[in-house]
Amino acid sequence: MVGPATASLSPLTRSDGSSSYKCPATGFNILGSVNAPVELPARRDALKPEEATVEVLVKPGTYPAGVGERYVEGILKGMLGKLVLGREKGYPRRGVVITLAVVGSEDVGRGDSYLTMLPALLHASHLALLSAAVPLSMTFTATVLAVTSSGDIIRDPSVKDATAATSLHVLAISSKGHLLLNESQGAFDFDTWERVHQRALTICRGVQPSGSDGNIAMVEDMEGRPLEGFIRETVEDKVYHDYAWKIDAA
Amino acid sequence: MNKEAPLSIAERDFILNALREGVRLDGRQPDELRPLNVSFGDEYGHVKVQLGKTSLIVRISSEVTKPRDDRPFDGPFTIAMELTSMGSPAWSDGRQGDLEQYVTHVLDRVIRHSNALDTESLCILKGVSCWSIRADVHVIDYDGNLIDAACIAIMTGLQHFRRPDAVVKDGQVVVYGLDEREPVPLNITHKPLSITFQTFDEGKLVILDANRKEEQASEGDVVIGINNAGDVCFLSKFSGAPVDAIVFVSKSSVALEKVKEINGIIDKALQSDLAKRTEKGLAEESKAENDR
Repeated sequence: MVGPATASLSPLTRSDGSSSYKCPATGFNILGSVNAPVELPARRDALKPEEATVEVLVKPGTYPAGVGERYVEGILKGMLGKLVLGREKGYPRRGVVITLAVVGSEDVGRGDSYLTMLPALLHASHLALLSAAVPLSMTFTATVLAVTSSGDIIRDPSVKDATAATSLHVLAISSKGHLLLNESQGAFDFDTWERVHQRALTICRGVQPSGSDGNIAMVEDMEGRPLEGFIRETVEDKVYHDYAWKIDAA
Repeated sequence: MNKEAPLSIAERDFILNALREGVRLDGRQPDELRPLNVSFGDEYGHVKVQLGKTSLIVRISSEVTKPRDDRPFDGPFTIAMELTSMGSPAWSDGRQGDLEQYVTHVLDRVIRHSNALDTESLCILKGVSCWSIRADVHVIDYDGNLIDAACIAIMTGLQHFRRPDAVVKDGQVVVYGLDEREPVPLNITHKPLSITFQTFDEGKLVILDANRKEEQASEGDVVIGINNAGDVCFLSKFSGAPVDAIVFVSKSSVALEKVKEINGIIDKALQSDLAKRTEKGLAEESKAENDR
């Protein structure tokens, strides 16, 4: 761990909602923007009549988008499409357009695995959705874990660590502790995955699920602040800042 | 679609009448730039430019490639600009609009075709390998005058960028990592910048660095690409109402003045960033925990 991540809400002026997210361990710096609800022109036949369509664009920093970007866009679209409450008033037949630009990093090389960047992309889009006040069914946090050949689990591996690892796992955990997304790569067995799952739960939520004696152990010290707290605090700070006039008056 | 919502008639009239009285929306003089802020990221060639509310990020990258067969001494240099809905909700992702084509064309002319970057210096081994330089422009907030902002950002990026050192040993190309050898700055021949003017009332009113609303209300634009020495390397009047020839003459001298001013700001930003980097580099090197 290299200290906490940094994030800010609504750094941009033109889009409906935006966020910037920087992961300190991997150095990925993502700028996300959300426009919703918007008209999606010339795609009338592709639109679902009673739901919003989620569109995701990932724009790499220093090369044209290719197959890797399309692939990760698919993952993001699948997961975020489930979270956005697309049946709320004003949303059916409209689009929720999420644009994510990689503005600084040691860059995933062309053809390298995108899984290392996936949590940063997920967090950036999540914060941008919150900033745009898009109705969501729940909040979530995500983490990437690499399992080395000796069976150790590394949190937030660098691109180099990730290529050396035997397996790589990205897990997104909802605010209720449910598993929302699991993308794995490489060879691993069920026991390893269970260990990875446990570790992801502690990283994201800070609690280990109750042991056999029913006790819940807090393991914040080992993993630093849980990610969920970080997301909450980022949003809380922004709300305090925006409503300072009201809070001060009260 | 790819078009901003048009101004209302009342708003357009307001802007025009104010201009006729010599007043701009944000209280600037006709020949005054919006506040310009140039900042740098962690990597070489990562520049963020804010010109008023217009802001964009440029990243310069290099790669070793094979030169084209008909130009064995030249390294390719590309400027890639893709407008996404991040910059403005009116732009849809993945579809090229008129603005994108226009801006890319002007940038190509002003920076690439004026040979601001010496592409022959990118050659490593004739016909076998050369550096390919790529400038990616990410527009993150659009409030008019994209051309000038992008031009400033790309030129700053090219001056800020350092490519890894490469050496030819017995016919083999060896590329040294950024931490192995001092990285090499690019060879810049001159520093051209574009200055965009918007014209109103058949060319009688001319303003510089228009914001989005002024751009929408204008009748035509004049783009002048000029360097510090006063060499005009690009001049265009693409569309819109006709403009008197005298405007071109008088505005080129305004453009020269502005280019000198902007280049001064860029130089200052580059120097302070460089000073910061060397300071940090020395601090890193003198750490006790380092290997000796």
